[in-house]
Amino acid sequence: MAQMWITMGPQHPMTHGLWTLRVKVDGETVVDTEAELGYIHRGVEKIAEARDFTQITPYCDRLCYVSAMTWANSYIYAAEDLLEVEVPERAEYVRLIAAECQRLASHLMWLGAYGPDIGSLTLMTWCMRDREMFLDLLQELGGSRMHYNFPRVGGIKRDIPIGFADRLIAKTKLFEHRIDEYEMMLDESTIWLVRLQGVGYANAEEMVNAGVSGPNVRAAGVNYDVRWAHPYSVYDQVDWEPAVEKPTSVKGADCYDRYRVRMEEMRQSCRMILDAIEKIPGGKNTNYAKGDKMILTKAPSRAPEGATGFSNYECTRGASQFYIQGGGDSRGKNPYRLSIRSPMFITIPYVAKTMIGYKVADIPAIMGSFDPCIGETDR
Amino acid sequence: MGMRISNEQAEAAAEHAANSINERFGGSDVQATVEHHNNAYKMAFTRVVAPPQHWVAVAKHLRFDLGVNYCSMVTGTHYPEGGAERGWEVVYHFLRQPVVDQKPHTHTVHVAEQLNGADVPLEVEAVVSLPQGENPTVPSIQDIWVGADWNEKETWDLVGIQFEGHDNMHRVLNPHDSPDGFHPLQKQHKIRYHDFNEMYDDAQGFLRKPTDEGRVK
Repeated sequence: MAQMWITMGPQHPMTHGLWTLRVKVDGETVVDTEAELGYIHRGVEKIAEARDFTQITPYCDRLCYVSAMTWANSYIYAAEDLLEVEVPERAEYVRLIAAECQRLASHLMWLGAYGPDIGSLTLMTWCMRDREMFLDLLQELGGSRMHYNFPRVGGIKRDIPIGFADRLIAKTKLFEHRIDEYEMMLDESTIWLVRLQGVGYANAEEMVNAGVSGPNVRAAGVNYDVRWAHPYSVYDQVDWEPAVEKPTSVKGADCYDRYRVRMEEMRQSCRMILDAIEKIPGGKNTNYAKGDKMILTKAPSRAPEGATGFSNYECTRGASQFYIQGGGDSRGKNPYRLSIRSPMFITIPYVAKTMIGYKVADIPAIMGSFDPCIGETDR
Repeated sequence: MGMRISNEQAEAAAEHAANSINERFGGSDVQATVEHHNNAYKMAFTRVVAPPQHWVAVAKHLRFDLGVNYCSMVTGTHYPEGGAERGWEVVYHFLRQPVVDQKPHTHTVHVAEQLNGADVPLEVEAVVSLPQGENPTVPSIQDIWVGADWNEKETWDLVGIQFEGHDNMHRVLNPHDSPDGFHPLQKQHKIRYHDFNEMYDDAQGFLRKPTDEGRVK
């Protein structure tokens, strides 16, 4: 049969954003693929060269519109490395809680978008309902539903409000039960299993060599996680263990394994939140004033030429990294160069190549299982 | 309880890597040192400074002798006032991850405290300085790490550093029909901060445009 190229995207439900997947097909079989990115490139790296270190945070929020808190934190850790700041422990705990709430919200967004990919529209409404709980909690912290601008160099913008802890505990405990509901619904759905199992195999070593990271690699059976391997917050003081899944084939993890590992990761995030809120220094029902020593250390605003800062952060989709060189304009107030490593920018071209050999109908299932986000891909 | 790699483990891994590189490349311009981050944990990492002509040999040593299996990031920087020897700089970040293929229905669960030798996660920063000039060129490491492929594409697209031997180089973030030689992160393309007064008076930016020097399009 004659082979032909078809273009999926930029407007296609499979893409989860604005990008193009060009697929070469032989009948129903995928023979070759090519990813085209860059549709929403905003030049954040260049913009950052004309902003000071506090002003960059909102841009980093907007790198990924479903996972703003983790991206802002990721940037802040690099800026703190550059400016040599040590953060008060209470601020680290609040950041940890906020980042894990964001991880729950992001994974729920992923599951909610993955359901319609597979053909289960109900899942979207369920996930949106639960995600709203965590967006409300994050709104209490940052003041906004999606883009919080919450971390500061040296701490956090403001402390947790009175009563936040009770609401957080109640909602997290409720959500722990909801995870069981999701699993009951999905793991016993024949359609879900047929579409996910045995599709989209990816090997652990191959993924690491290609630069894939995070839950996608843990689905292939290794508990490598930035949170313990390159520690950055108080993750060693709270109760958790990395989610890891046993792959079912020598070919590595399939879409089902990647779904399982994210469900497990949501459980671990709940566990972490419930433990961290009890252990928080200064008490969970205290509200320190803005700029108090408990939540904010005074940080220098200038970095000398030659100073560098690097952060490696377990974002919801993998390891996000920032590299900053100091000594830019305004006598060192701006970075000379800020470089962002987005996990999805590396993953999407890799995933496009793993589709070769599968059917066209499997493309949404494979692509969706890697959780693409185009905001961070194109920067 | 959560676990983490201790400072001593990271220090030992970074020292081993630095010593290994210095031993292997002693006498050439390759220099490896142990550095520390400045935030709370002060974790150690290895910094390698290599001239472009030795870079591929160093990269192969990292990959095949030290087991650094993950190329996470390639950063290019333009230094128009950096002197004759340092007009451009390419900074690579690598990680060593204890990840191996699994047999079906098994998984590896590492306990951070019990890891040793080549299993300890390691962070490597490699700095390659390039001389001043129109065509900064560095050898490609695409063959050594597949993950470097799109990182190098991005670095060429945004900064204009050419990767010699890179297969299938093309624009990834800029439009595909961008003019040749347009690489927006080079420093002759100016960007400045517009304060809010300016933004209100001239929301469309009509008055601003002529002052943005160096715009190609």
